[in-house]
Amino acid sequence: MSKKKICMVGDFSVGKTSLTQKFVNNVFSEKYLTTIGVKIDTANVGHTKLIVWDVAGRDSLSSINASYLVGAAGVVLVADGSRPHTVDDLNDIWSTVTQRIGDVPAVVALNKADLDDWGVGDDKVTEFRSLGWDVFNTSAKNGQNVPELFERLVEKINA
Amino acid sequence: MVDTTTQQNINKQLFQKLELAYFCVDHSMVVKDVSSNLSQYGFTDVCEGGNIEDFVDFMVGLDSHTEIDLPLVASPSGIPISVSLLPSEEQLTVLIANASVQAEQRQKLQQQANENELLVYQQKKLMAELERASAELERKNLQLEEASRLQTSFLSGVSHEFRTPLTSIIGYTNLVRKDLRHVSEQMVPRIAKTDDSQSYLRAVQRSSKHLLSLVENLLDHGKLDSNEIVIRPKRTDIAEVFEDAAILLHPLSTTKNIEFEVETNFSSPAFAVTDDSRLRQCLINLVGNAIKFTDTGSVTLSVDWKDDILDVAIRDTGPGISEEDLQKIRLPFWQAADTGKAGTGLGLTITERLIEMMGGELRIESKLGEGTHVHFALPMPAAPEGDSPVEQTNAEAVPLKLLLVEDDSDIADLVWMMLSERGVDVVHVANGALALDALNDDSFDIVLMDIHMPIMSGYDAIQELRARGDETPVVVMSASAMEADREKAELLGCQAYLTKPVDVDDIMNIADAVLSS
Repeated sequence: MSKKKICMVGDFSVGKTSLTQKFVNNVFSEKYLTTIGVKIDTANVGHTKLIVWDVAGRDSLSSINASYLVGAAGVVLVADGSRPHTVDDLNDIWSTVTQRIGDVPAVVALNKADLDDWGVGDDKVTEFRSLGWDVFNTSAKNGQNVPELFERLVEKINA
Repeated sequence: MVDTTTQQNINKQLFQKLELAYFCVDHSMVVKDVSSNLSQYGFTDVCEGGNIEDFVDFMVGLDSHTEIDLPLVASPSGIPISVSLLPSEEQLTVLIANASVQAEQRQKLQQQANENELLVYQQKKLMAELERASAELERKNLQLEEASRLQTSFLSGVSHEFRTPLTSIIGYTNLVRKDLRHVSEQMVPRIAKTDDSQSYLRAVQRSSKHLLSLVENLLDHGKLDSNEIVIRPKRTDIAEVFEDAAILLHPLSTTKNIEFEVETNFSSPAFAVTDDSRLRQCLINLVGNAIKFTDTGSVTLSVDWKDDILDVAIRDTGPGISEEDLQKIRLPFWQAADTGKAGTGLGLTITERLIEMMGGELRIESKLGEGTHVHFALPMPAAPEGDSPVEQTNAEAVPLKLLLVEDDSDIADLVWMMLSERGVDVVHVANGALALDALNDDSFDIVLMDIHMPIMSGYDAIQELRARGDETPVVVMSASAMEADREKAELLGCQAYLTKPVDVDDIMNIADAVLSS
């Protein structure tokens, strides 16, 4: 079984830990507990063992620590669909990724799709797709598109 | 310089103090050396000769030649660790240190900062929503104001159109009644016939006046809705206001064969500062209602004026009002279903609003079968001394020359006849332009000016007149009861504003007052 490191990146409080926990352990908590540094989990997708680095989100005090990205075979770019600026920030975050590890396979999770105040326009989705990213409207709360998100990334990594 | 043994001792103590653990791999990632305390961080089963990626997840994807610091990594034991990859030519050494303290400090700080930022974001979002809602509300308000303005404008138009013919109907009926009285005095054999005619004419007058009051109520309601009614307090003999109301309402009570008493603790003159016309309107509405709904017994109007408060109570022995109806009685257009009394259902609504605007509150107490008690109190300071109203002179004795400017020939004829009867020399013209010509050719004591006329409106004519330096007093006589028209007349320096249908006494009184001042 091959092992692949992937990183969950995005602004703080977009749901990176929640998506990881939903995918790895099938659990969800409403409580917000900010991630410090990085948490590492594992999950099997087909014949691939994914080593998921759940990286602390970018915030007003600190940017993403690019050292965590070293060795990653792909990234999940996560944004909160109810906070449009976190979607816009994905472009900056992607720059950080490419500067450190190059143009690796990526998928986009527009998370919190269960909320009413969705603020992502079709033009943004089109823009992301034009960059070669697969875009998923996800909900860590109800599990919408969570397995599909990781499975697609593994497909892209193994392609 | 320290010797090798000392250096080893220092290193050993540092390792223990920082809880440092380590492992070493060669460049094929095969484990070469492992510290005995590595398992305290949850990295168990790491054994020499095995591939490190099989034992330590965070090593997956990393290479043995790159120096990297990985701070605050959650270890399998749950203890946060700092990881340092230190490559050399022979091997890669990976140092692991306990980072619990830094992680704990960072956690508190970061959690607080992130929560605050989320809170600020939510607040901004709420503020934006609030601003959006507020803008929407403002837009709706403007729409409502516009709708209300259109409604008032429509009502004003309707009122104007009704007032003009009603002025003719009421005025000419009066003249015909006077003529009939004259005939009956001279032609005794036909007296029965003239009695019938008098009674028919009274019916026409009653109906006309009722129609006029309906129109006025509708207009007042519209104006109250659009805040167009202004209370104009002035020096007023309130005893006269109550006497007027009593005189006006007594015939109604006499017709219904019920007693109507007025009890006051003051007598004329009793000068106070109030809007006499609005006070009179409230009294006529409330007492009129009491008489209208009382079929037997009495209606009593009690008035008490002291300490700058006017206290008014109206009691009747009518059928009373049920508790359920008392809740609805103040609603516009509401009328009790089973009374069979005609009306618009606006009188009480208007009265209540007027009383509020004058600083009072209307209270109604009633029980079925026990009559009704209506009460209100108004702040009403005494008028300062020395500002007595102009004493009215005998109008018929004044050789008054009046220019009547009126486009409606029926009304012009009517006013001409009424004023001529009082000995006034009346010259009539049909529009503002002709009025300017007449004033150019001749001099007048006073001008009685309609507003809405063809060729040149009353306002334009007054403006032109003043521009010429002609200060002949002008009294406006208009079918428009809109506040804006009244204010415009004031701005143009008109001496008074009369609303049609006008009473000849009002014209004479105002003419006296204007000429005396």
